Amino acid sequence: MPSLILRRFGFAAFTIGFVSIVMFAAVEALPGNVCTSFLQRFAQGPRLERCIEQQGLDRSALARYGDWVAGAAQGDFGYSLKKRKPINELIWERFRNTALLGGLAALLAIPFAIFLGIAAGVRRDRPLDLSLSGAAMLAMTVPEFVTATALIYVFAISLQWFPAVTIVSPGAGFLQMLPNIVLPVIVLSAVLIAHIMRMMRASVIDVMASDYVQMARLKGVPERQIIWKHVVPNAMIPALNVIALTIAWLLAGVVVVEKVFNYPGLGTLMIQAIYDRDLPMVQAIALIFSVIYVGVNLLADLTALALDPRLRRKGH
Amino acid sequence: MKKPLLLTAAIAMASSAATAETLRIPHELGYGGSESIDPISPQRFYEAIQNVYSRLVRQGEDGRPSADLALEWSATPDAKEWTFKLRPGVTFHNGNAFTAEDVAFSLMRTQSETIDSPTKGVMEVIDHVEVVDELTAKVVLKQTHADFPLLVMDYRIKMLDAETCNGDLDALCESGIGTGPFQLVDYDPLGTTTLKRFGNYYGGTVGTENMELIAIADQDARVAALQAGQIDFIYALSAEQVPLFEGNPNFTVQSVPTGRWVGLVMNTQTEPFNDPRVRKAIRMSADRDALGKLVYGKDGYITSCDHPVWSGDQYRTEIDCARDIEGAKALLAEAGYAEGLTVELFVSDISEGAVKMAEVLQNQAKDAGIKIELVPAPSDGYWGDVWMKEAFFATGWSQRPADQILNEAYRSTAAWNETAWNSGDFDAKLDAARAELDFDKRKALYGELQKELWETGGSFIPVHLNTVRAFSSKLSGIEAVEDFSIRYEDVVKAGSGS
Repeated sequence: MPSLILRRFGFAAFTIGFVSIVMFAAVEALPGNVCTSFLQRFAQGPRLERCIEQQGLDRSALARYGDWVAGAAQGDFGYSLKKRKPINELIWERFRNTALLGGLAALLAIPFAIFLGIAAGVRRDRPLDLSLSGAAMLAMTVPEFVTATALIYVFAISLQWFPAVTIVSPGAGFLQMLPNIVLPVIVLSAVLIAHIMRMMRASVIDVMASDYVQMARLKGVPERQIIWKHVVPNAMIPALNVIALTIAWLLAGVVVVEKVFNYPGLGTLMIQAIYDRDLPMVQAIALIFSVIYVGVNLLADLTALALDPRLRRKGH
Repeated sequence: MKKPLLLTAAIAMASSAATAETLRIPHELGYGGSESIDPISPQRFYEAIQNVYSRLVRQGEDGRPSADLALEWSATPDAKEWTFKLRPGVTFHNGNAFTAEDVAFSLMRTQSETIDSPTKGVMEVIDHVEVVDELTAKVVLKQTHADFPLLVMDYRIKMLDAETCNGDLDALCESGIGTGPFQLVDYDPLGTTTLKRFGNYYGGTVGTENMELIAIADQDARVAALQAGQIDFIYALSAEQVPLFEGNPNFTVQSVPTGRWVGLVMNTQTEPFNDPRVRKAIRMSADRDALGKLVYGKDGYITSCDHPVWSGDQYRTEIDCARDIEGAKALLAEAGYAEGLTVELFVSDISEGAVKMAEVLQNQAKDAGIKIELVPAPSDGYWGDVWMKEAFFATGWSQRPADQILNEAYRSTAAWNETAWNSGDFDAKLDAARAELDFDKRKALYGELQKELWETGGSFIPVHLNTVRAFSSKLSGIEAVEDFSIRYEDVVKAGSGS
């Protein structure tokens, strides 16, 4: 059992290492380098030479990769030429904001979605199920930037209840952030709820049709007790994986939603860094995203291991 | 339970933000938060600097320098010594008097090696500044420059308080103390920077009590913020964004010419562009007005004839460069391309409309028997790998006064001489124009240079770009001048009633 957990960690570490190689190689493959992309038209003569020397670009790619990985492992992502600041300083604040947005969306959406999923599954094909499933289909098919734009139009531009874009100073407290995150959280939650609810519904329907539920019914166990004692716990296990996947999806969704609402998170920082061709910054954020992605999946794996004894047997 | 709470909080926020008398201008975060309030810093926080400091001279309506902190100026006949008479009774925000000492300090610090200001190259023409008396400063130049007042009209050459900056010529001075219409209250380039009306402003009463510079890096977000009433003004709308505000009574849309240009460059030393007839033929094949409409929209441009001097510049010469397909064909035949000519044009999405412009020219030149093959280049590394390396490629420049752009882009020794323009005669005329103290004669010289570029030069500059701005209809007093010349002190905001 401990070796099984260790192995999962090993896989996760390997994945992150591999991702870091791919990212480094991709940036290497771009025409030009950090200095030419930063200096643009000024990339000539002594200015360029000075930059190349400062950035250590005269050394081999392997040596630079080694430095980068060693630095990143200690939380030092290097220096942003464009912003003239160490990348760490810039990222922490943004990370907090993104975590607030994503965390709040997940916190509200997951329990709500599970509840809706159960309700829909239990009342299969009845009006409640049909309307919930229909709404979920809609929420899944409409891209989040469309939902976001529609919400901005109605609630920010026409009704002026909420701000259209986030305007706060760095270090703003939670209360200051609050009116700004209402609309983004709604957009993110809508998609989360739709995905998780549908999975939960399917899972509940499966379990309801199983032999042990039939058995319980025949024994005369009250329906309410069947649902909460037998159906829900068993339906949760397949839903867990979907929850992990949707949280990973949140990362991509957050980039889009942050951009539309001008929310000061990692997503907008990443988009800005791409526009500015601030390559070290892009690398750093991409690495953080991949660590979160791998981390969430690792967590789901471990939780599934804890919940389902069958998975703990050898060979899995 | 949660929602009504959130709603009330949001409503409270929204209504408290909608105070009249506060002008809310977006700050574009061009330097991502490392902005400096020092006007000559490479990371200047322009929107704040514009309102906190003032210049010696500012741009007048005819494009010529007009009085600001200096009331009048004169030069010795060799245009090497310039004497500025300063406005009396001007004080800085901290109460210090503005004197000739401050002029000397503010001008000399632009040359600092340590600060390495973008203004350094231009201001190196100054040898030293003599303080004649409290209100008279004499600037002694290293070489003749008949248009020296234009150099100090630059939007970065602002007057700082020597005392507040400890007289240190080699350090950035980030006190934010100037003589401008607004004084700094709270400096927060990543959030909201707050300014308030300066009571002792020499230019009279300032139109609004407060000004907020609100950091929004993304243009789409700025558009949404203006629509939702979170800000009052935005710069540089794209052609697609204009209809969002046009025809809406809550907003005013204003289109003003600027000196920005996007162009296509032929290297005048490389085959087949080393033949001036080929260059002219390509230029004659273009219908500039049609091109401008297609690429920048009907209010997005002013046509130009392949010289970089823009319509608001005092030295601009109007040339007739109508499309002439027969003429182009004749020139091509003369140059030995009677059967037609095929050239490669390297383009990338480096400047607004560069790719579209190349496509339109490709279509227009076809009629003259010129086949342009577009070679798409990646925008990564474009300025190092393509620009000034290939024979025919796209370029883009920001606004510069005539003397500066002609010297930066066409002097044979210039680092950014992108057409490889090598004319001793052209260089000599540039020097002559700088030495000519008589305005009309100087203007004639600059005019000849522009005509020469149209006749034989290597640049294709079909249009100069307009900038389109939109602002709340509550604002009045925004003149239709380019961004650097907007006088925010004259802007009045009608009360919103809350």
